[in-house]
This record gives sequence, C-alpha cells and structure tokens, in this order.
Amino acid sequence: MSSKILSRLAAAWLAAIAIGGTGPASAAEPLHVGATYITSGLDPAKGSNGWALVSHGVGENLFTVDKDGRLVPALAEKAERTGDLTWTVTLKPDRSFSDGSPVTAAALAAGFDHTFATNKAALATGGRLTFEAADDLTLKITTEKPVAFLQALFAEWPLIAYTLADDGSAVFTGPYRIADFKADTALALEPNAHFAGAQTRSPVEFRRFGDAQSMTLALESGELDLAFGLPSEVVGRLKANPDLTIKSFPVGYQYLAFLNTTRPALADVKVRQALDLAFDRRELAAAINGGEPATGAYAAYFPFAGKEPRPTDIAKAEALLDEAGWTKDAAGIRRKDGAPLRLLAITYPQRPDLVTMLPVVKSQFAKIGIALDTQVIENIQEAASTGNFDIALWAQHTAPNGDPAFFLNSMLRTGAALNYAKYASPEFDAILDRFASEGDADRRAAIALDAQAKLFVDAPASFLVSPVWYVGLSKRLQNYEPWGSDYYVLRADIGEAR
Amino acid sequence: MGFVRAGVFSMVGLVALSFASFTLIALMPADPVEIAIRAWNLPATEETVAALRADWGLDRPLVQRYLHWLADFVTGDWGRSFRTGEPVFAEFRARLPVSLVLGLSGLLLAIALAVPLGFLAAARPGGFADRGSRALSVFVQAVPGFWLGLILLWVIGVQFRWIRPFANDAAAFVLPILLIALHSVAVFCRVYRRDMAETARRPYFRTALAKGLSHRQALWRHAHRSAFYALLSAVRSEAGWVIGSTATMEILFNLPGLSQFLVQSIAVRDQMVLQAYVMVIALWLLVMNALVHLALRLLDPRLA
Repeated sequence: MSSKILSRLAAAWLAAIAIGGTGPASAAEPLHVGATYITSGLDPAKGSNGWALVSHGVGENLFTVDKDGRLVPALAEKAERTGDLTWTVTLKPDRSFSDGSPVTAAALAAGFDHTFATNKAALATGGRLTFEAADDLTLKITTEKPVAFLQALFAEWPLIAYTLADDGSAVFTGPYRIADFKADTALALEPNAHFAGAQTRSPVEFRRFGDAQSMTLALESGELDLAFGLPSEVVGRLKANPDLTIKSFPVGYQYLAFLNTTRPALADVKVRQALDLAFDRRELAAAINGGEPATGAYAAYFPFAGKEPRPTDIAKAEALLDEAGWTKDAAGIRRKDGAPLRLLAITYPQRPDLVTMLPVVKSQFAKIGIALDTQVIENIQEAASTGNFDIALWAQHTAPNGDPAFFLNSMLRTGAALNYAKYASPEFDAILDRFASEGDADRRAAIALDAQAKLFVDAPASFLVSPVWYVGLSKRLQNYEPWGSDYYVLRADIGEAR
Repeated sequence: MGFVRAGVFSMVGLVALSFASFTLIALMPADPVEIAIRAWNLPATEETVAALRADWGLDRPLVQRYLHWLADFVTGDWGRSFRTGEPVFAEFRARLPVSLVLGLSGLLLAIALAVPLGFLAAARPGGFADRGSRALSVFVQAVPGFWLGLILLWVIGVQFRWIRPFANDAAAFVLPILLIALHSVAVFCRVYRRDMAETARRPYFRTALAKGLSHRQALWRHAHRSAFYALLSAVRSEAGWVIGSTATMEILFNLPGLSQFLVQSIAVRDQMVLQAYVMVIALWLLVMNALVHLALRLLDPRLA
C-alpha cells in the first residue's frame, strides 16, 4: 500500500513537470540568439562588460567602426582638438537614453567619470580623461597624455557611453534595452523605444552556451535564429541543411600566443624567437578550417597590417634553442642543466578554435623537442593575470576602433593593464609614444609597422592566424550580415525577415 | 523523540559543516580582492583594496565574519556575489528550482523505471530483462553522460525532432531528466533485482510457491517490499551522484540552473556563492536522507 502511495506521488510529480512550463510566452515572438559568451554583469565599467554590452546591442560609443572598417560618428557628431591636451566633442541632437531622458554632455560625463575611475583599460591611450559639460551637446575633454586621434579613443571598447541612474545603475542608448539578465546564462532584450525604428525590431532572447557543440545542435534543432561563432568542424554538415544559412566572414581578431617573458625559459629571447618560428601557421589555419596565416598583429585587410605571412623555420628554431643552451638528449627532449624544456600552454573554451589549435601546437613543439602541458581554462583573464603560464593562446580584436594604437598600448606597452606577456621594452614604448602626436592615418600606419617589426624581434607574442568566423542563421534571419567581428553582433538593423 | 534527536544532530552537523567550509574557502590561497582587481581591471590602489575589503567584510577576523554570515544566512541574507554584485539568495532562488526539478525528477523517474525492470529481471534470471539491465548498468558506467547527451541531442532533437531539447519550456527538461535517470535506473534495478533473488532463496518464499502462487505472484507479494526497501536505501547514496549529473546536464542543455553560475563563481573564488552552494548541497542530502528514512518507515513500521 505504501509503495503505491510513493508511486502515485512520483507519477504526480512527473506529470506536473510535463504539464507545467517555465514561463509565459512573449507577446511578440522573440529572436533566439546563441553565443558562447555573454556580458558578465550590467556595470559597463567592470572588466570587458563595455565590449559585451555594445556587442549585445545595448550600448553605443561616441564613435564607432562601420562595416567597411571606417571610423564613423555614433552618439557624437564630431570631435575637434582645441589644445595639446584638450578636445571638444559635439553630440548629435535628439538622442535619448533608453529611459527616455535626453543624451546630454553632463549625463555622459557622469558615465565616463565612472569608467575612468574604475577601469584601468580605459586609461590605455590617453591616460585619465576629465570631462566638463559646456552645454547640453558640447563636452569638453582634457586628456592626461596627448591624443592625436580622439575619435579612435572613443571607439575603444571600454568607453561605452552611458549615464548613471539615481540608484547607480547604468542607462544606455543602444537599439535594445535589457528586460532581464541571468548572469552567465541569458539576456532578454526588448527594443529600445527611444531608438529610431524600434517598431521594426523584435525582442531578443540571447543565450550563452557553455559548449559550442550544444549551440550547434540548438541551431540544427530549430531553436536558434542566430548562432554566433560556430565551430569550424561543423560547417560542412550545416551547409547541407536546407533550413539553415551559414555565412563566413573575415574578422579583425587575430589568434595569437602570448609568451610570458617572466617565466624562466621564456625570459630568454632566443627561446621565444624559436617558439615563434616553430608555429606552423598554415597547419593551424587548416586545423580550424578557416583563416589565413597571420602577417602580424592585424588582420591583412588593415592598411597597417604586415605584408608577408609570419615565417615557419624549424631548422632555425632548433639552432636558436641550441644557442640558448637547450640541447636535445637521446630521446629528442631538449634539456638544460638536466631539466627538460617543459612549458604550460593555456587557452579558453569561449573561443572553440583556440581549443582546436592547442593539440596542434603541442605536436608542432614536440617536433623541436619541447614538451607542452595544456590547460583549457574557463576564466582566462584571471588565469593570464596571475602569470601562471608560459604560452596563452588568445583571440583579440587588434583594431576594434579602426586604429592600430589601442591594442599595442593596452596589451604590450610596459606595465599596461592587459600586458599578459609582461613585456617590458623602453624601445618599444618609444615607438608607441609617437602615436600620441601623429594624426595622419598613413604615418600612424608606419608607426604600427615599426612597432610590429620590434615585436617580431622580441617575440613577446606570436601572431598565428587571421581567422574566418561562421554564423548559422534560420530563415527568419537569413539576411543577417555578419561584420565587425563580435563587437556588433546585435545592431539596429539585423536583417530580420518579415 | 527520534525525530527530535535526528533534527538536533542534523542542525549541529550543518553548523559544523558551515564553519568548516567557511574556513576552508576563506583560507584558500587566492584573494578575492586581488582576483576582482585583475578581472575588472580596477586600479590596484590602496584605497580600492581597502574599500573592497571593507565592503565584502574581509577586514574583520574570520570567526567574526563567520558568525555574521551565519546570522545573515539563517535570516535569508546570503550575502552578495563578489563577481556579479547581485544578492546570492536571489540568484539561488531563481536557479535552484531548475536544478531541483532535474535532480528530483531524475531520481523519481529512475525509481519508477527500475521497479518493473528489476522485477522482470528477477522473475526470469538470464532472460532479456536481466541481461538488458546488466548491459545497461555496464553501459552507463562506461559511457560519459556528456557524450551520451550529445548523441541523444543529435538523434532525438535534430534528426527525428521528437522533442525540442532547447525550447524555453518543459520539453527542454525531458532529455536531461532521462539522462540523469538512466544512470540511477541501472543502479536501482540491480539493487532491486539482487534483493528479490535473495528473497527467492528463503524458505518462506518456497512455502508461498508450495501454496500455489506462481513465481511472479510470489515475487510481487513476498519479495517486492523488501526489494523496494533496498532500492530506497540506495537512493541515499545516489542522491549525491545526481547533483554532479545535474550540473553536467545543465551545461550541456543550456538550462539556467545553478551549475553555470557555480562554475564561473569557482573560477573567481566567489566566497558567498561557494558557501551558499555547500549549504544547499548539505540541505539537499539531509532532506533526501530524511525523505528516504520516512519512506522506509512506511514500508517497515518496525523502524518506528
């Protein structure tokens, strides 16, 4: 009798699960978007939230990069230099925050003050900036260091534009506003009623997938309208599916390897140069089924990119290791004072291509007698910051603002917040200093080429692959055009079929 | 009286566990303030460090912090996540139901399936059900749940489209519950079958057969209760395994349960979240233990 009661309770429970839903359906059918990343919070000044919130279509910058890679005004109309350290930015009229309040110089100044007070990455190009509202649409800006091209600075990812509400929360201006946020999981977006064309946009359910294969299966099973960043190995299978459209696009990201210059083995520049020569970039590009060997720090379509693919030369790599005192033993393992040359390479699952590349790198290094331990780490920024690695495989958009200076200043200048290689070179810093006083695009490109030449010699980073990425689209979003890497995934016009 | 004593012991155990876990998490080598400064690109000034320490209560002695946390915890204030800045209780309240539904449903479904399968296996040793349940047991031990989940997703969700595994409704729970149940079915089924087989060797069982009952009738009337008792005992240990399995399924099926939140929190040593998770797991095991104990008392009143 008692077991019957238990059985009935069990049946009732399961029936409740089957009948009950997890929530009411939205009035307007939302677009379902999947990606392997999501903003880690709603404070735009924390970590890389500024980038993510612009990518999600929630925020904007004063200036931005269009689909042709050109720097264009967004919330701002123009920026004019008024002195060595002073600028005046004029805002576009008739723009509103998502709460309906007007975008004014004073409102934006409050947001920027918060960012500069709390996010070191914002200081990379111009140091600490101070803001003063001259009138509703005129923002006077004073930089700590000379900035030759303020428009590019305000297109950098930490400098998302927002204001602070009375409760301290941020209010944005982008085409979508946040309706609900579940950390690490999902973001519900609704059209920002105060952004032009709101009636033409559907709400969006943005979901973060912890596993790219799961995201692929969700697309295949019809649960996603847009899957951003598909693993390259599934592209062939998906292209055979008549219900899906698969698009590839070159991205401004570079896949690179930071070589930790403070680790015992890699402190020797000859060892770093050897590793740089040991990477077979063509094989890496083939492994991820998309992309070209990198020519330097920037994707090849930028005018400041290197012209020739970075070389692979195993014989020269071996000679450099011999010179550095790392000689091969009978088993083919390189040793110095009896200790084997064993390195730790880390990467992160949010960029599945990097995970695919990791074992390929391991086999390439084995050819020159280097043993490689590999780790895939969920929170790569934290791991890289601690410095407990030799090689960090990394994906980085190296010219998100259409200008070469930000990446070099923020990730490779001595003491920079994101200088994971701990690279310190006064000569390199001196080259970067020239950016501060040079406003001409051609001459800035020449500076970038000089800086890359120095990096090729010192090898604090190896530039590996300029990748191609893939998006999967349902019929509803088959007109979606991917561009701007993952900086502008959701935009005012995403080509929704109606 | 027994219940009161068990309740007191449980409370004492919970408090001891909470202190041990609080101490361990607090003494972990990674400093959450240093992690936050790195992860959020904060200026590493003395003022920033001091402000964060004061804000998160890290400037107070450990015991004082623990007592403060305990007093807050029992009143529903579980602190704020270092990482997201959101109240931990609100995060758990939003996510725990998903994890509980997965875990409980998986266990109940496993029980519901294990009884008939185990009965058929015991009724005909060496038969199809017996060999099938043994094969299932080996299979689920050998094959990772994550891999099996991917295969089922592809076959059932993509190729045949029998269910919508990523739909924002109850259908999304079907496959993960099935996968969680699958492992437990194999365990419960073998436990149930083994107990029935032992009973079938007892003299009173042979007496029942001699009185004219068929083998199956005798099994159901005279061996089922004891076997179900053994099965419920196995639920205690399986409840712990189900927690890990639930975490895997949440990540694979992209369900908004505790797991994705926990994985990110572990990476940054988010003390308040980790502490809350330890307490929730302890409570889950206590509750499951108590429920199983109650069920066993119903089956065998001599325990009372």
